[in-house]
Amino acid sequence: MGELFDAQLIGTAVRQATPLILAALGGLMSERVGVINIGLEGKILMGAFAAALGALLSGSPIVGLACAILVGLTLALLHAVATQELRTDHIVSGVAINLLALGLSTYLFRQIIVPREEAGETSVVSMFGAVSLGGLENLPILDALLKDQSWLTLFALALPFVLLALLTRTRWGLRVYAIGNDSIKARTMGVPVKRLRYIGVLWSGVFASMAGAFLVLSATGQFRENMSAGRGFIALAALIFGRWHPLGAAGAALGFGFFEALQMRLQGQPVFGVQLPTDLLLMLPYLLTVIALMGLLGRMKPPSDLGN
Amino acid sequence: MLKSRLMPALLGAGIVLGALTLLIVAAGKPVGESFQIIVQGATGYPRTELYGPVDAWDAVLHDMTLLLLTGLSVAVALQAGLFNIGAAGQLLVGALAAAWIGTLQGMPGGLHLLAALLGGAGAGALWAFLPVWLKVKRGAHEVISTIMFNYIALYLTHWLVTERLKDPAGDAPQTAVIAEAARLPLLREDFLQASWGLGIAVLTALGLWLVLYRTVWGYEARATGANRDAADAAGAPTARRMTEAMLLAGALAGLGGAIEVCGSQYRFFEGFPSEYGFDGIAVALLAGNHPALTILSGWLMSALRSGAYHLHAETGAPKEIAIVVQAALILYVAAVYLRKRRVEG
Repeated sequence: MGELFDAQLIGTAVRQATPLILAALGGLMSERVGVINIGLEGKILMGAFAAALGALLSGSPIVGLACAILVGLTLALLHAVATQELRTDHIVSGVAINLLALGLSTYLFRQIIVPREEAGETSVVSMFGAVSLGGLENLPILDALLKDQSWLTLFALALPFVLLALLTRTRWGLRVYAIGNDSIKARTMGVPVKRLRYIGVLWSGVFASMAGAFLVLSATGQFRENMSAGRGFIALAALIFGRWHPLGAAGAALGFGFFEALQMRLQGQPVFGVQLPTDLLLMLPYLLTVIALMGLLGRMKPPSDLGN
Repeated sequence: MLKSRLMPALLGAGIVLGALTLLIVAAGKPVGESFQIIVQGATGYPRTELYGPVDAWDAVLHDMTLLLLTGLSVAVALQAGLFNIGAAGQLLVGALAAAWIGTLQGMPGGLHLLAALLGGAGAGALWAFLPVWLKVKRGAHEVISTIMFNYIALYLTHWLVTERLKDPAGDAPQTAVIAEAARLPLLREDFLQASWGLGIAVLTALGLWLVLYRTVWGYEARATGANRDAADAAGAPTARRMTEAMLLAGALAGLGGAIEVCGSQYRFFEGFPSEYGFDGIAVALLAGNHPALTILSGWLMSALRSGAYHLHAETGAPKEIAIVVQAALILYVAAVYLRKRRVEG
């Protein structure tokens, strides 16, 4: 058991959690203003592809990130127009966006990147390196958390606090709170509900596509078919588990990241002499979310008017 | 009236053809020839030495069976106002249950197939129970819980097929082959995968049409879906109808999985195709959730898939063309036919 929990495990957990935190907070931006967003998965996937393509063609991870965000914004705009202008069902639109992203990213991958691989060129992009925080990352407890992390991870760790401050301390935040509480009353009070919904949905596109960019530019270095692998849905679970609160959602995402890291560590390793099936560990975030939905962990109250 | 119905339909067909053309051009393939190959993939004509109507219809009718049942699953739930994103998970547990029953020794021969199919349907219904219970009793959104149950089903069936129900005769993560008595006959002797499961699926669709539009139960279920508050006020047992509709939806998807096992695969294996559950959403939406029209939209989606796969096999164009077109179609149908009625924007 000695080697089971150590600094390396914490570091891995934070890395695994990074895309989950980003996507969960993206979901928060959209759901707090009443727009259901099950299209996070698609935005992560398309973001990952755009990041890979941009970085591959330009040789720069910054360009890759910019491409990812642009694509994320486009998909988010599609969702915003579909739900706000055409009044499409939020879930149908989200399902379609996920499907579109899966089809389009695989199609473009086979059209553009696979032929390059077959021609013997590399599909590995230049990635973001680890950031140094001027010695901060060498301090005793922080080192496990912050050592050798990419700036996207640090950004993801800081983001919930920034969002909390914005949500509780700014006019924008109070308006979002008003919409989440009672959107009709908010509209009566002169809050520009539609504009704030657009803004929320667009931010969800930014954060979710950053999650996808992280997978390519900080984690693996290359795009693979369907590489989002359900992270958008785990992020959604983290959002619910964290009760639509920035710190709660990020905390839940960290917890789910920890399970993933633990599962990677435990593969083929007995714990107290028992071989834990990895499938059971992988299932844990989803099971916990179901338990949360059962109300065993207190009442889960979604923002008002969600989905209308 | 006719014009207002015809125009959107024509526009939809235009969008499909436009999207297909765009994707074919972007893949650098000749448009006319590609469309010919797609039609060939879907119908078998014009016939070639390697690919004819038998191959095409085998593939199309096989996919159609699954798409029809998952489409009905989504449609029945939606008629009662519930979004069943969980057909994929229900299909998986149904398939595994059918494979397990199909491999049991000492079952009475005549009932083995029936037991496997009913077992699959039962497992699917069971898998849909907790999400709808959470919805009715706790107000938890069924979309979230059915997504969670999809993943739980994925890992649970994976664990079972690698640890508990694995074929003892081999190392591969799959169950043993089911008994002969538990198999559905193929539609034709020269088919490889399309079974009489299609007959079951079509009969189920027609039966559901009657149930939804000609019985009190169906009327109450549809009223619940149209406006739950109004149905409540009118005295319909809405919570009951929602629960029953969702259990029915789970049973339909589970039956789809069971038919895939008993009619085509003859076993459950790691990576069992569960994505049909998501394709069912497109099938249901395209049919406006009408069970009889689902037969048509199921065939259409299946033909599109077979066409795209054939194009992939012949020219190397990515087969995901089918997925992109399907997504465009869902968005279009949702924007035109499924707008929310709301007093204020």
